[in-house]
Amino acid sequence: MHVQQKIKPNYLVNAFLVFFVVHATQIGVGLQGFQRIIYRDAHQDAWISVLIAGLGTSILVFVIIKTLELYESSDIYGIHYDVYGFFFGRLFNAIYIFYVLICFFVVLRNYIEVIQAWVFPELSLWFLSLSIILLVVYGITSGIRSMVGIAFFSVTLSLWLLVFLVYPLQYARWDQMLPMMEADILSLLKGAYNMTFTMLGFEILYVIYPYIKEKKKVQKFAQFGLLFSTIIYVALMIVAIIYFSGMQLERTIWATLSLFKIVRLPFIERFEYVAITYWMLIILPNLIFYMWSACRGIKRMFNIEETKSVWFFSAIILIAVQFIVTRTQVNMINDYFAKFAFYVVVCYPFVLYATAWLRKRVSS
Amino acid sequence: MFRKGNSKNHHINNNDNQETNLDSVLDSSSQLVDYLLQKCHQTSDLKILTISNLTLFFIDNQVNQSEFNLNIIRRLNNQTNYKIDDVINVISVGDIEKSSDISYALLSVLKGSVCIYTNGIQELILIKIPSNNNRSLSKPENESQVIGSQVGFNESLSTNVSLIRRSLATPDLKNEFYIIGRRTNTGVSVLYIEGLASNDLVQRMRERLSSIDIDGLLDSAELNQLINDNSLSIFPQMLLTERPDRVCHGLLNGKITVLVDGSPMAILCPLSFIEFFESKEDYNVRWPIASFVRLLRITAVFLSVFFTALYVAALTFHYEVIPQALLVPLGESRSRVPFPPLFEAILLEFIIELLREAGARLPTKVGQTMGIVGGIVIGTAAVQAGFTSNILIIIVALGALASFTTPSYTMGSLIRVIRFPILILAGFWGFYGIMFGFCFIMIHLLRLTTLGSPYMAPFYPPRFKDWVDSIVRLPFRFIYKRQALPRPADKQKYNPDEVN
Repeated sequence: MHVQQKIKPNYLVNAFLVFFVVHATQIGVGLQGFQRIIYRDAHQDAWISVLIAGLGTSILVFVIIKTLELYESSDIYGIHYDVYGFFFGRLFNAIYIFYVLICFFVVLRNYIEVIQAWVFPELSLWFLSLSIILLVVYGITSGIRSMVGIAFFSVTLSLWLLVFLVYPLQYARWDQMLPMMEADILSLLKGAYNMTFTMLGFEILYVIYPYIKEKKKVQKFAQFGLLFSTIIYVALMIVAIIYFSGMQLERTIWATLSLFKIVRLPFIERFEYVAITYWMLIILPNLIFYMWSACRGIKRMFNIEETKSVWFFSAIILIAVQFIVTRTQVNMINDYFAKFAFYVVVCYPFVLYATAWLRKRVSS
Repeated sequence: MFRKGNSKNHHINNNDNQETNLDSVLDSSSQLVDYLLQKCHQTSDLKILTISNLTLFFIDNQVNQSEFNLNIIRRLNNQTNYKIDDVINVISVGDIEKSSDISYALLSVLKGSVCIYTNGIQELILIKIPSNNNRSLSKPENESQVIGSQVGFNESLSTNVSLIRRSLATPDLKNEFYIIGRRTNTGVSVLYIEGLASNDLVQRMRERLSSIDIDGLLDSAELNQLINDNSLSIFPQMLLTERPDRVCHGLLNGKITVLVDGSPMAILCPLSFIEFFESKEDYNVRWPIASFVRLLRITAVFLSVFFTALYVAALTFHYEVIPQALLVPLGESRSRVPFPPLFEAILLEFIIELLREAGARLPTKVGQTMGIVGGIVIGTAAVQAGFTSNILIIIVALGALASFTTPSYTMGSLIRVIRFPILILAGFWGFYGIMFGFCFIMIHLLRLTTLGSPYMAPFYPPRFKDWVDSIVRLPFRFIYKRQALPRPADKQKYNPDEVN
């Protein structure tokens, strides 16, 4: 395997599309109900926790891109090879592939959970998972440019959902934000830690980086993408704090969806039905990019085409999803996953940067 | 008509592969007669005349009889021993050319030329006097517009080319001629403006045309499917238009057009998805009106594809989303209907499609009556019989109406067809099914290309500068850049400061 990747110019994408890729992969199932777990720790200061988490992601992305810039045009799989050698490189690659597959699994299972809880209690697990996985396979077989296009449309075509956040504001009680700064640093950080699951997605940069045309601009647009996500998270957090009372918010699993619930227009009510089904468009880039990351790993390690390995992984996920049936199991998976993801996405980039930097120093 | 322009290098002839001892054919007139009779299988309308030392060949009815008598037969006599230049001097009609290529001469005769052979000379004279059996120019039937030119293409390639040349009197307009179809030998012209159209795209078009090896080509709509990027897709990737002004507008924007002899439709490419909803008239009316109409058309597409499906989904699964004030009249109108909403909607959509198809097939006058009888009588009767609800009739009719606002006929019929899968998805899986269909179409559109360029441009890849002339049409001073999709060699149309 070559550490450096040479991508043909007709597969490259513009740097500013990184904004959409990062934003689209960040926004996902977490957004539907992240408010409760943050509120548990930080209460009315939860929005500060979200802000801290946003700042944290910004630093992480900075480190991730610095790592990638050490190599001219490589992805995490190539860097692993270069840093850890053949055997350990493969081991780390395998772990990373496992991680992105788990990401895929968790996003898929959580979305199905929401569909089953709110819209179609009777629709079977296998049908829902199969239909979404088919879309993902179709997306991946259409190539990198189309996949970035899906991320682009996913962002632009769902912006209108944000308008409905204004609706709950007419019932807002702004004094629920007060007193500010009551939470201590530890609770704020704990809240920020709980944001991990929601904030995930920017690690896609590790894989997509070689495909970006102007590598110097990646940092800028990735940071813009993070900023936009953070703004949305903070806004949603604030709306939830001022709309729900404290006790209520602690018992509301999907606060964002509950916010949509009260939207009432002359021709439509119970807007969450539309929002939840529309969410398919929002999670589609998540799923596609996670799955694609895994397929890229296989391609880089064993030179098996993405269009082939995607079927293999899809089959595995499809079978695995059938074993997680109850809400308790989903919650358990989420908790384990959040811990695992914290190590992979929050801690590991620093380690990788340090080792990669050392490796470069030693070799030169 | 035949072999126009400077394109002899691109002459493709799949007709004769086993050309043997052709050199000796032109040695004497009897050999030529034998050769031609054998080649045409003694067909009865191949006429052979001998005047003095000249032998004339032509296909009866393919040449213009009066011109033939007046300007050829009458000017030749039995006394003179003609030389080849004498003949050319005497005959004062048509497009005269000399050729020693016997298969080319035969093809020319088949297309309406008179071929004159001077005994013993290795050259043939071809006089093009085709019988004028063309339809006169008329209004475009399928793409009418209120303001602007009212002329449409007809079936003659030369007329169509001249219609384009009339609007684009520039030496840069280049015409490349091809012959496609082993049996039909159909003339195909590729037109583009040199220095505007991208060389890569022209080359790509040449390659696609050259790679076609088909038995017969009768229409540009067939050719369109042969040179498509993705022929399995339901979406048209090249525009079929019968409007010369639309074609000229495209050519001026660096696009390429393909004309087929015998077809009143021109192929225009590359064309992105959004451009199928644009019409030349949008530039003829003032910009707010043009923008309004364009937005209307886009809304109509979404309405047409998703409205009935949303109704079915909401009534079958998601009663909760309908406000109470709306739910009561809906319930009342559906109270006598014995079918589930999906069946009801498919039935009604099916009736509308029947009416549309019958209207398209029937003669114009009967067609109108048919529309009224079908629409009003069947509609009213269906409601009174308790087959369907009033509200669904409104929704379905609205969807059908909206689908007719699309300026491109192929895109319009696609929108009507694509409704059915969405409807079925909605009937089985509600909003989830609709969203599945929506995502699927979105991914599919992102996969498509038009002559190798992305189909969803200028939205994806985002070219924000082109948005001023896509879903809206801003005043001319803002749309001075050519669209990036055809990768034009000259990017600027005019200086915006000098345009009001």
